[in-house]
Amino acid sequence: MPQDIRKWFLKPHEKDKDKGSANASKLANAAPSNSEQINPEPVRAGQESSGRRKTSKYFATDKQKPKDERETEELPIKRKTQNDNDESVKSKPLKKLRKVDDGDDDDFVPPTVNRNSASVTPSKKLKSGLGRGVAQTSVVDVNEVDEDDVKNTESPLKSNGRGRGGRGVSGAPAGGRGRGGGRGGFMNFGERKDPPHKGEKEVPEGAPDCLAGLTFVISGTLDSLEREEAEDLIKRHGGRVTGSVSKKTNYLLCDEDIGGAKSKKAKDLGTAFLTEDGLFDIIRASNHGKARAQGESKKSEEKVSISLPKQSPQKTEVKSNSSATKVAHKITTSVSSPAKRKDQNIHHSSLPWTDKYRPKVPNEIVGNQSLINQLHNWLAHWNEQFLNTGTKQNGKRQNDPSAKKAVLLSGGPGKGKTTSAKLVSQMLGFQAIEVNASDSRGKANANISKGIGGSNANSIKELVSNESLSAKMDRSKHPKTVLIMDEVDGMSAGDRGGVADLIASIKISKIPIICICNDRYSQKLKSLVNYCLLLSFRKPTKQQMAKRLMQIANAESLQINEIALEELAERVNGDMRMALNQLQYMNLSMSVIKFDDIRKRLLSSAKDEDISPFTAVDELFGFNGGKLRMDERIDLSMSDPDLVPLLIQENYINYRPSSAGKDEMKRMNLIARAAESIADGDIVNVQIRRYRQWQLSQTSSLASCIIPAALLHGQRETLEQGERNFNRFGGWLGKNSTMGKNMRLLEDLHVHLLASRESCSGRGTIRLEYLTPILKQLTNPLRLLPKDEAVKKVVEFMNVYSINQEDFDTIVELSKFQGHPNPLEGIPPPVKSALTRAYKEGSKSRMVRAADLVTLPGIKKAPKKRIAAILEPSDDKIGEENVDVLAGSDEENSSDTEDQVDDATKSEKLQTELQSLNSKGVQVQLELKETKNSSAKKKPAGRGKGGSAASASSEKKGGRGSGTAAKRKR
Amino acid sequence: MLWVDKYRPKTLDQVIVHQDIALNLKKLVTEQDCPHLLFYGPSGSGKKTLIMALLRQVFGPGAEKVKVENRTWKIDAGSRTIDLELTTLSSANHVELSPSDVGFQDRYIVQEIIKEMAKNRPIDTKGKRGYKVLVLNEVDKLSREAQHSLRRTMEKYSTSCRLILCCNSSSKVIEAIRSRCLNVRINAPTEEQIVKVLEFIGKKEGLQLPSGFAARISEKSNRSLRRAILSFETCRVQQYPFTSNQAIPPMDWEEYVSEIASDIMKEQSPKRLFQVRGKLYELLTNCIPPEIVLKRLLYELLKRLDAELKHEICHWAAYYEHRMRLGQKAIFHLEAFVAKFMSIYKGFLITTFG
Repeated sequence: MPQDIRKWFLKPHEKDKDKGSANASKLANAAPSNSEQINPEPVRAGQESSGRRKTSKYFATDKQKPKDERETEELPIKRKTQNDNDESVKSKPLKKLRKVDDGDDDDFVPPTVNRNSASVTPSKKLKSGLGRGVAQTSVVDVNEVDEDDVKNTESPLKSNGRGRGGRGVSGAPAGGRGRGGGRGGFMNFGERKDPPHKGEKEVPEGAPDCLAGLTFVISGTLDSLEREEAEDLIKRHGGRVTGSVSKKTNYLLCDEDIGGAKSKKAKDLGTAFLTEDGLFDIIRASNHGKARAQGESKKSEEKVSISLPKQSPQKTEVKSNSSATKVAHKITTSVSSPAKRKDQNIHHSSLPWTDKYRPKVPNEIVGNQSLINQLHNWLAHWNEQFLNTGTKQNGKRQNDPSAKKAVLLSGGPGKGKTTSAKLVSQMLGFQAIEVNASDSRGKANANISKGIGGSNANSIKELVSNESLSAKMDRSKHPKTVLIMDEVDGMSAGDRGGVADLIASIKISKIPIICICNDRYSQKLKSLVNYCLLLSFRKPTKQQMAKRLMQIANAESLQINEIALEELAERVNGDMRMALNQLQYMNLSMSVIKFDDIRKRLLSSAKDEDISPFTAVDELFGFNGGKLRMDERIDLSMSDPDLVPLLIQENYINYRPSSAGKDEMKRMNLIARAAESIADGDIVNVQIRRYRQWQLSQTSSLASCIIPAALLHGQRETLEQGERNFNRFGGWLGKNSTMGKNMRLLEDLHVHLLASRESCSGRGTIRLEYLTPILKQLTNPLRLLPKDEAVKKVVEFMNVYSINQEDFDTIVELSKFQGHPNPLEGIPPPVKSALTRAYKEGSKSRMVRAADLVTLPGIKKAPKKRIAAILEPSDDKIGEENVDVLAGSDEENSSDTEDQVDDATKSEKLQTELQSLNSKGVQVQLELKETKNSSAKKKPAGRGKGGSAASASSEKKGGRGSGTAAKRKR
Repeated sequence: MLWVDKYRPKTLDQVIVHQDIALNLKKLVTEQDCPHLLFYGPSGSGKKTLIMALLRQVFGPGAEKVKVENRTWKIDAGSRTIDLELTTLSSANHVELSPSDVGFQDRYIVQEIIKEMAKNRPIDTKGKRGYKVLVLNEVDKLSREAQHSLRRTMEKYSTSCRLILCCNSSSKVIEAIRSRCLNVRINAPTEEQIVKVLEFIGKKEGLQLPSGFAARISEKSNRSLRRAILSFETCRVQQYPFTSNQAIPPMDWEEYVSEIASDIMKEQSPKRLFQVRGKLYELLTNCIPPEIVLKRLLYELLKRLDAELKHEICHWAAYYEHRMRLGQKAIFHLEAFVAKFMSIYKGFLITTFG
């Protein structure tokens, strides 16, 4: 059977050869061949259609296909006729746009003629009068007629009563359709009860489109299915699910009449009610029919294969041997998808669909029509605005948004930016010069005259300044030019100064410039944006895309229903090009594409677009998380190997595992196992990060994501009152950074305590054991004692331990526990402010023995010399903060002298003190010069000083003191 | 000033608790040289005090003249430079630092900074002391790599440098290092010793100590002298004059952990687990080390637990503690322990009470 088809195409081909038009394209061949062979077709169709659906479809589409192809050729033909000044056949869209500028017809034609002439001429030669006749009728009509034919042949097979014109119905509610409605109640989802018999019924598998054309609305809780499952089931079988009841709704699916808005409206409209079991019955019923049909189709297949050899020898006589073997090969491989093989044969060497079905007129572009109009207007008025009057009114028009000399089209890939830029300029008769990322676009030489024929940048400069072209234009009426700078955000390393140069070009340009970029907010384009009219392409709606995809699928005789196409459109994220590529790829292997195929196919190719970690976690934990394949799970968890485990860890407690049911004990067990597995993941992660064992990354994702998800996937429930039933963002990151911050603060406190030289404990000890007593010492007096006394006591304590106010806050902060009273509770605000004041008061005379790096003003980084000096602690020529510390230590020592130190050490100390002070004298001078501000703090406290040592030191310090005194006056 | 610091013995002679060790140390350094030393013992037993007193014994009061530096070290590690922030406490003759503060990059500290410090021989005017001392705190928290790099340093620069290592548990210090040091075990003071110290302080402060009060504090202190003195002072702040049955306020975090424990005991459900997670986070963000949290949590749980479960729970606590050290995100392991406990305990309750 496929062989026959092939032959129909091959035979005329040979005829062509005979005629000597060997260069005729296959496209062209298809049309005439079919028209010639039109007679055997109906016979065959009648034969086969009794048997199986696929074949009957195959014939139907086969019939329609040639027509469509003619359809696609319609345009070129029309253009031809235009050339002959036959305006009457012009299509409407063309006409409308043409009106805008009448004089451009001549300019418009040449490029198209060039493009199409190769294919058009032979077809014209071969074409009978029929070709044009068909071209008059619109595509839609042809399709509908064909569809009806299909239906007629199919209807006897269908047991589910799909009914006449089922397709028509499905096409009709196009305006109001959309899956979005089904999800409308997501917020309520968490509140909805579980289905009473969840998972207890076997979900039937039916014929793939047994529900085609039917529109369902789901209401309330179903008997055994989750709402998503039901939605999925219906869609898988070709049905449509909408959110609210309308006239077009066929069934309201509900198991209990909850008397809500939906059922009320359904009653008003007389919509049929359907229970879940009813739905299952419909699906099952279709299955029987299908099974029977399949049995028959098998028979017919055999028939075909028997009949084939009979026919083929006669025809292969004429053919070369190679093609004969090819055909033979086809028989074995293509029984399941005969139609496809034929298509493949046709398109095998032809263009990719993206090029083949590239819009030919701006109206064909899917979506963003208003932007295209805007672009059109801008381009149409460019010349009058900037060339004729531009110089005069330049000053006034600066702020007028439409008066930008360039335009910037932005939007994601596959939205048709480049295509629309080209088409619009083509339509307006501009000659488009495209420069894209493959060209070097660096800064042009300043001297343009030098660089003619040199770098590309120079030729752009040349172009925009219009030096050479203007001369040409005068002479030969050369077409107007437009410069399309594609992928401007791709201007990078190689294109140094590219954007700046582009801006300069825009300023002097005498031709319109269209810039195209993907990300308009890119840092690189910040300056460019100011000079351009911004047009952001949005992604077309899935309905728009599905419509266009449907046309293409029909043209390629690919059978696919609209729901599947919408799914496709959604999956590719508005990228028309990708959708077409996917479709073409799938077309290679199958002729009938179903909803499930698309889902399967694009689940694996979904990597191309970003899965957010939330989506990944949703899927892993989702009700059918258990059905995912392992590689899918790995893909999901690897979509962000850092974030997904954190999200899992944050949320795994919230899931009620479907495997545990109501058994709380089992659930707790599962949670414990999951928690252990997550901890495993952490250990593996350490190996990966610390020892670079990246080969373990799969193990890590297994342990930290997949196992917990596998154990706990099910329904999410909330644990806290008022929590939204969505996955939370992983708390670990925030907590970890808080912990880091607190650690730093604690370290500051630790250093200060160390510097006070009263304590030499470690950081951990300070937190664990010192913090509580210190807090008590700091806050208790404020609560109990009278204000002045308390403040005095606390400030004294702070001074002893070199605790400053930030440290005070740190201590309070670290002692705060959620659910415990604030440590500062009970301290009246006046006392707090008094404390602050007192501390500030004291700070003038306080020695802060801070060991923090004092940054010198003017010097950004600590010079290396100082590091070297510090490595040698005995060396005294260290930065002034050391002096500071030393000064502190001197005083401490001198105060120490009072209590315990014996005489011998005293004298020794005196000596060292004097030494250090001597060196300090030098140091102080330096300090006064270098750091004016640091000395203010460092005024010697002079507390507890006594004995000769003290006097000596104070004497010495006089020099320094005067310096600081002077300083302080400022 | 807190009493802990006020009454900290400054010289080896003033030591009350470990007098025998102090005496030995004094003898050790009266001769010109001293070996590398490893002090180990539970916290609050007086390791640090002994070390400081020892340094003073060796270098004289100059050893107390310390300065603190908090510096960023730039370390060239092959392809990249690493910035490490480290606090050092140094006098003319010794440097004290805690290499484990920088986390898993501690080996750079050992390999670069310590080596650098050890290399430089101090120049003394009198030419008497030919070496300087590096005091390394918390060596048990050093990673294996760091400890291995340390052992070479210890040998190579032994002429100019002595290391004094200080840690809680010598078992986490590798054998090679232990064998290069003179190991000094500092026992936790006995309760009687603690009482003695408390009474000494009470006398100095002129306080009236009711009979048995000091004993209660020392009992509560878990044989940590520091802890005892601190809570003694806290009691003083809380209420004076003392009564013998006065409540001894616990540390804030201990209180919190015990709350968590009773939460866990009361209810075993995902919801409760979620709340416990929040509380554990609270502890961790307040800089309580996770090991301490786990240890304390186990302690609190055991207090409330039926006898037949104790063994199993201890096993799991040890299991998760070990894993926590292997891992990085402590909360995961803490939570896993809590989940495990809940699972076990819930099962136990169901089998026991139906």
